[in-house]
Amino acid sequence: MNTFSSALYTESLKAFRSKVPLFTTLGFLIAPLVGGLFMIILKDPEAAKSMGLIGTKAQLTTGTADWPSFFNLLAQAEAVGGAILFAIVTIWVFGREFSDRTVKELLSLPTSREAIVGAKFTVIATWTFFMTVLSFGVGLLVGDAVVIPGWSGELFRSATVDILGAGVLTILLLPLVAFIASSGRGFMPAFGWTIFTVALAQIAAVMGWGGWLPWSIPALFSGAMGPRTESLGIHSYVIVLLASAFGLFITFYWWRNADQTR
Amino acid sequence: MNYVIETNNLSKQYGDVHAVQNANLQVNQGEIFGFLGLNGAGKTTTIRMLLGMIRPSEGNVKVLGQALGRGGSGPWAQVGHLVESPSAYPELTVRENLDIARRLYRLKNPKVVDDVMEKLFIASYSKRKAGTLSMGNLQRLGLARAMIHNPSLLILDEPANGLDPAGVVEIRELLSNLAKNGVTVFMSSHILTEVDRIATRIGIIHKGQIIEDLNAEKLEQFRERRLQVKVREFTKAHALLTKENYSAIIHNDSIYISDARALEAPDEIARLLVNADMPPTRLIVEQQDLEEHFMQLTGNTK
Repeated sequence: MNTFSSALYTESLKAFRSKVPLFTTLGFLIAPLVGGLFMIILKDPEAAKSMGLIGTKAQLTTGTADWPSFFNLLAQAEAVGGAILFAIVTIWVFGREFSDRTVKELLSLPTSREAIVGAKFTVIATWTFFMTVLSFGVGLLVGDAVVIPGWSGELFRSATVDILGAGVLTILLLPLVAFIASSGRGFMPAFGWTIFTVALAQIAAVMGWGGWLPWSIPALFSGAMGPRTESLGIHSYVIVLLASAFGLFITFYWWRNADQTR
Repeated sequence: MNYVIETNNLSKQYGDVHAVQNANLQVNQGEIFGFLGLNGAGKTTTIRMLLGMIRPSEGNVKVLGQALGRGGSGPWAQVGHLVESPSAYPELTVRENLDIARRLYRLKNPKVVDDVMEKLFIASYSKRKAGTLSMGNLQRLGLARAMIHNPSLLILDEPANGLDPAGVVEIRELLSNLAKNGVTVFMSSHILTEVDRIATRIGIIHKGQIIEDLNAEKLEQFRERRLQVKVREFTKAHALLTKENYSAIIHNDSIYISDARALEAPDEIARLLVNADMPPTRLIVEQQDLEEHFMQLTGNTK
């Protein structure tokens, strides 16, 4: 039993026993279910008009009831919803140690702090990627059940890249959230940070410099603002990778060196 | 000499606040070192520095002969700790909390979980979620976690917190037995009577500075009973008592006698003094008061 496997078992057990995975996964499944509802409405324009606001909103965001529109909706939900729900997962995994004052139980052990932080990141990455895949899978089932036109193998491959790619880009930005949850010693500073970055991402995307801001990039990748080739370049992916690497480095550094007073 | 805990000029400063200043501690194997101080005196900061949780501003710490390194590295496989209030993962059962401690201490045998639950009397709560435990049982869980790997050094911050009187006695006996088997216990407390009952040595910290180190001999003095005699002509009375082979000392215009025969028959002392025309104005068997000593040291009065 090496130190990492000990830490990974510990973090996995804590995650499985809590209700946070269940609630965040259920929350994330709202996207394909609501998308399916929109498709039902859009399939019948008369029913859409009679639905009032919901019908109007569905018309505005997707336009037509077909697989390309449905996948586009899923990808946007993945990018925006993922930014919030994945951050909640991260904030819980790191921040709960300070809120529950259990962080001291993770220090002064033969298991290194690096192994514990590494295990936390592994659990977060696994958990959020599972949520991404599950949401996509449920989306496929919902789309199939609703019976919408426009399916093709090419579209499926492209949607897989859009949705999973947006998910992975969102996951890559989570280490910065982990750092704020750790250095802020609890939930609230990291929640504040998440709201700030989501709002900033929207503004940056609208102003046209979203390709340079890490938190805008997953949404732009998903096609929320049109084809990603128009807004993203190689530099955008490099920026996300740098932000991720910086977040990992600073989180590990903080756990290794900061005074632990809680 | 190799100490189990050794600090040299250990200091921690937060801005202008000196939480701990030039603390020099040497704790020997098998000692129960009581670390006393008022709230905010620097006990927990010192303990966190001993555990590598806080980096000293100045000075250094050696635990079990090993200097604590960066990143919290240290001989932690041989050290158990309980810092401040006990905490546990509320969604996990008592057994699961201890099992993750077992894994983090890299112990292969799952039986150690059962053993330590028996030792701390929490086996009947093994399936209870930690979030539903009383404060006392949470404290027992914290102590079980600290002892699960049979450490050679226990660093405990307020170990009797939240325990009922029976629990306090159980923990006292447990720690005493561990010390008899060579385990070193470093325990902080602000409950002086509790520390006085168990400690073989006491360090008093006040405003971040260690102001007193009471070894076993000095502690024994505080635990001794003695006869206090007040007489108007105390110098003559002292000479008389000494002549009668009592080991009498003069302190603050009083005579103190600690002989067993004086304590058993103080009326003999009274008769002796009356016959010598020096009737005592006060004659009382008293115990030196560690609490009063502590209060005087820390600038508080009873």
